[in-house]
Amino acid sequence: MTTLIVDNGAGTAKAGFSTDPEPRIIPNCVTKAKNVRTRIFIGDQIDECKDLSSLYYLLPFQRGFLVNWEIEKQVWDRLFSKDVLQVDFNETRLILTEPFFNFPSIGEAINEVIFEEFQFHALHRTQAPTLTCYKHQKDKETSGSMFGTLVIDSGYSFSHIVPFYKNKPVKEAIVRVNVGGKVLTNHLKEVISYRQLMVMDETYVINQMKEDVCYVSTQFNKDMEIARKKYPENTISRDYILPDYTHIKRGYVRTQEESSKKSKGDEQMIRMNNERFAVPELLFQPADVGIPEMGISESIIHSLSLVDEELSPHLLNNTVLTGGNALLPGFQDRLQSDVRSMASDDFDVSVSMPGNPITFPWQAGCDLAADPSFPSLCVTRQEYEEHGHTICSNKFNV
Amino acid sequence: MMADKRESGRVKEVQATRVLDEAARRRRQRKALEALEQDNFSEDPHADLKMSKKAPKFEEVMDTSSGPGPKRKKKTKGDFKLRYRKNFAALLEEEHMMNREGPSYTSSCAPRSKLPERRFCAVCGFPSNYTCVQCGTRYCCVRCLGTHKDTRCLKWTA
Ligand SMILES: [Zn+2]
Ligand SMILES: [Zn+2]
Repeated sequence: MTTLIVDNGAGTAKAGFSTDPEPRIIPNCVTKAKNVRTRIFIGDQIDECKDLSSLYYLLPFQRGFLVNWEIEKQVWDRLFSKDVLQVDFNETRLILTEPFFNFPSIGEAINEVIFEEFQFHALHRTQAPTLTCYKHQKDKETSGSMFGTLVIDSGYSFSHIVPFYKNKPVKEAIVRVNVGGKVLTNHLKEVISYRQLMVMDETYVINQMKEDVCYVSTQFNKDMEIARKKYPENTISRDYILPDYTHIKRGYVRTQEESSKKSKGDEQMIRMNNERFAVPELLFQPADVGIPEMGISESIIHSLSLVDEELSPHLLNNTVLTGGNALLPGFQDRLQSDVRSMASDDFDVSVSMPGNPITFPWQAGCDLAADPSFPSLCVTRQEYEEHGHTICSNKFNV
Repeated sequence: MMADKRESGRVKEVQATRVLDEAARRRRQRKALEALEQDNFSEDPHADLKMSKKAPKFEEVMDTSSGPGPKRKKKTKGDFKLRYRKNFAALLEEEHMMNREGPSYTSSCAPRSKLPERRFCAVCGFPSNYTCVQCGTRYCCVRCLGTHKDTRCLKWTA
């Protein structure tokens, strides 16, 4: 019997067997390329596409929830096939993640697709932050407090603040900020298209640029002042050269010194100045673009006000940051300093980040698969055939 | 020639005194927020392209209710066909209808921020102190206001 772990994110799925050293990270979508009429690209097949300009995306997720099964089925068919993971369904248990407060009808659709369409041997449904908490506690078993863990998961569709008491999410205190990587990329596309160059159809390219040059500021007002200056006092401004997919295969950032010079030749260039940090700032102040919500730091304090008073110092001292946005330079430092300044001086604040904040929940799934208690967390296909959705809703804490 | 000039001058005057009402400003803001959730800006360039030759669409798989097979399975597949059609708005509506106690998607949303509002120039992105009287967009200086009027302001109406 093998265990397959699929951390099924709205942006990418992280998938692999519990014995694999690393998961495959595949775009959880079907892509069409403007300049390729002959085919579509399902999930990881996009690696075969040479020209990544003007891609058209078909996504199974809407606002972080799995609603388009026609697309997801194609991605999973490919993922489980002999070309990728080569899953022997009869001999495989599946750990599958979904968002908190997933809608019941989506949960039932998952049960049906996993057991009836694919016929997996067994299923365990959970959430990425729950897996994170499990591994985080296990890893620090000898040192840290086992009492409370606060998981911050900032992904593609949204960011979640999830307090755990021991291994259980405190659901009344979960807070969701509706800003994730997608909003950041779309906002960046909008401002660049207005200020410099029409890039509204270049989601792939601009997302890559965001990952290459954006950062979370720990001194927002000061950085605004620096960005007003000229070279060499302006240490923020950077030129980014866009790929043309003939001579330049991938976008790249110029150094500060090179950025001060005139663009040479016919390459397309974007000058990233205050955009570098004002765009990720939406994670911390969504109201900057009119989203009437608290940002992540403020939401952490709000979440703490909803948990048992005795639990909050443990959460403050044991906060762990995951998700793709965690890779934005400065994110962890910003959280640490924001929460430090907002929380009571009586408590220690410690925000940590795993080596790889994207694959950590998947790695946690590998650990869980080896846990002696794991089989008892699963629903087998036989049990599902006998008891239907009831046994799933009883067994899975979703 | 003269008449033409006067004409365009008058149009300009009318434009200058036009002010977007509250409803139009809200519509514009809502559209901007919807744009942040968009998967694609343009339409599918190959809308005619067949999705996949190998994988049958769910509808085809599900349309076997008259065929042989155990009764229970047929029923759930029929339900499934309906369920997978629900978009996000329908799912949210369903949750509201159920009106269940306890934490939910809706209740877990971050509340309104208590931090003071920050204002940025729509043109250059730096902090702004001024608001366009016609449309409510923020700007920081005369130059940016000019750009704003020439490019956006009342040029596109939501
Ligand atoms: Zn300005
Ligand atoms: Zn205006």
